[in-house]
Amino acid sequence: MLKCGMSGSQVKVFGKAIQALSRISDELWLDPSEKGLALRSVNSCRSAYGCVLFSPVFFQHYQWSTSVDMNNGTKSNLNCKLGIKSILPIFRCLNSLERNVEVCKIFTRSDKCKVVIQLFCRHGIKKTHNVCFQESQPLQVIFEKNTCSNTLMIQPRVLAEAIVLFTSSQEEVTLAVTPLEVCIKSSTEESMDLNSSVYSEMFVGPHEFEFFQIGVDTEITFCCKELKGMLIFSEATHAPITMHFDFPGKPMALNIDHMLLEANFVLATLADEPSRASSPQSLCLSQKRKRSDLPCSNSKVGKKDSKGMESISRKVAPRKLYADEILSNISALENSGSPIMKRVNSDTEEEPGSPSLRKCKAKNNLMEVMPKSYFCISDIEHLPPLSKKPGFGVG
Amino acid sequence: MKFRAKIADAACLNHFTRVSCMVAKLARTCTLRIRPHALNFILADPAGGGVSMWCELPQENFFSEFQMEGVSEDNNAIYVELAAENLSRALKTAQNARALKVKLTNKHFPCLTVSIELVSVSSSSRMVTHDIPVKVIPRKLWRNLQEPTVPDADVSIYLPVLKTMKSVVEKMKNISNQLIIEANLNGDLNLKIESELVCVTTHFKDLGNPPSASENESEDRSPEQMAEVQVDIRKFLQFLAGQQVNPTRGVCNIVSHKMVHFDLLHEDVSLQYFIPALS
Repeated sequence: MLKCGMSGSQVKVFGKAIQALSRISDELWLDPSEKGLALRSVNSCRSAYGCVLFSPVFFQHYQWSTSVDMNNGTKSNLNCKLGIKSILPIFRCLNSLERNVEVCKIFTRSDKCKVVIQLFCRHGIKKTHNVCFQESQPLQVIFEKNTCSNTLMIQPRVLAEAIVLFTSSQEEVTLAVTPLEVCIKSSTEESMDLNSSVYSEMFVGPHEFEFFQIGVDTEITFCCKELKGMLIFSEATHAPITMHFDFPGKPMALNIDHMLLEANFVLATLADEPSRASSPQSLCLSQKRKRSDLPCSNSKVGKKDSKGMESISRKVAPRKLYADEILSNISALENSGSPIMKRVNSDTEEEPGSPSLRKCKAKNNLMEVMPKSYFCISDIEHLPPLSKKPGFGVG
Repeated sequence: MKFRAKIADAACLNHFTRVSCMVAKLARTCTLRIRPHALNFILADPAGGGVSMWCELPQENFFSEFQMEGVSEDNNAIYVELAAENLSRALKTAQNARALKVKLTNKHFPCLTVSIELVSVSSSSRMVTHDIPVKVIPRKLWRNLQEPTVPDADVSIYLPVLKTMKSVVEKMKNISNQLIIEANLNGDLNLKIESELVCVTTHFKDLGNPPSASENESEDRSPEQMAEVQVDIRKFLQFLAGQQVNPTRGVCNIVSHKMVHFDLLHEDVSLQYFIPALS
């Protein structure tokens, strides 16, 4: 189903992509298609999405095919979801990998749910890693870049210099733009007190950007962590980053367009609501309330470990991950709207101990704050994207 | 109360950054005292009522511009409390700065504002500002933050290379928490650690002793006689960890069974550190 090979220097870029996506979530999808091999990741509260698409010419050789189900003749893609913990250690110490690895081969075994990664190193050393994967259909996000009023293209160096100003304790960063200047600053709440951390800001003039188009003066706040992931990757590719954004609340897109690959990160931004000053916990609660408002037919589902729930649903039917809003809109098109799956979604969201929800206020569910015309999440295979004009999506 | 200062020289900026990093390693929250001719970083000893760390920087060697106005004419000083790491981190971002300005501001609450003019790749300036929250210390608490007096030591001895001591003490930490520091007027310094199973001593010889201030001490004491003090090894390690470079001059003063006092000089910055004996 998938068979590809790359050289040592290509392994470094591939490994950087995995490291960048590891900042978003603990899982990633390996999604090969005729367009190339895509690595996708969505975080648990759906506020950040990352996708790196390696075109076939990136690899030394690239073969892909759909598998045909024996029973009913339906074609299916490789629905491969890997745990970051299994794959990240393989691509550790990228500099030494670049030096030592001559060829890296990645292929799947259709009989077992395994991805085999083989590193052929110097001195005749061959390392083989068999990584088990879960069957799971990948998510994709289609984002209408063209509708964004503000576009900035900048060398990653400058952005990295700005990000280093902010400590790891400061989860959120605000980007304030006017036609005259761009300011990157720590996000402040209305009442800063003595125990708050350092407030930092950095001004960057328009001439430092390779492309500068500001249609509307705006200030958007988003999580630093995922941006750092994108920066790691862009420094490896030496390509500039393009940022597309609009008003607060609308997700922002970070994009790298390179001959051999394309990377897209979509991050949720904090909405300018009256409840903005509320604590992250109440944000979590309001999401919870929304979830419970939706019809939820299966009341038998008790409080189980959410991971356990996921594996149950997977055995039941091929799982499609949707936000409940989209589910309710396109429920007619769904072919397996199992109640268990809806419940699983809300259970995942409700996790009180989820550290990411508590810390970063910009963790609005991407789907909740966005009108559907701008962007949507869709299952790649079965459903067309909702918007008429394709955005950057891979599907 | 007013304070504004500017550093325009890269070497001075690096030195100031190194000092603030050292302070950040020695204390989480510390007091910054600003006076017309010097800056002090002070860590008050919570138990003893005295001071456990005292660092002094002569202002003229760092700042090209320096203006301050204290609380009043008689008390021309400013005492503020801040998280040392905030300052060191803010200064570390000023690696390629053209100029750095520090001033006391009041935006919602008192801050030490550090404004940095960075030189970017395209040789244009970029402005970076950090507002570090500080707490102004009221005058009635100033008496706990005064310069400590150098104790009457039983033995004063020059310190060996700090890096060597640090690597030795780091390994000793695994054996026990109580470290004995002993020295004599013959230039010998020993670090001893004991457990049920093992006893480890590291000997440093020919270190030299600074000339003693009072004559009585040198007469009464035989050169071979050791003065010892038992301290918490973690405090000693924390002190050593803060020293990235070997000081220009380092003296260890031991008051038998009471405390050990370290007096270091890093070029023009002096650092004094007190560790009380374990009771």
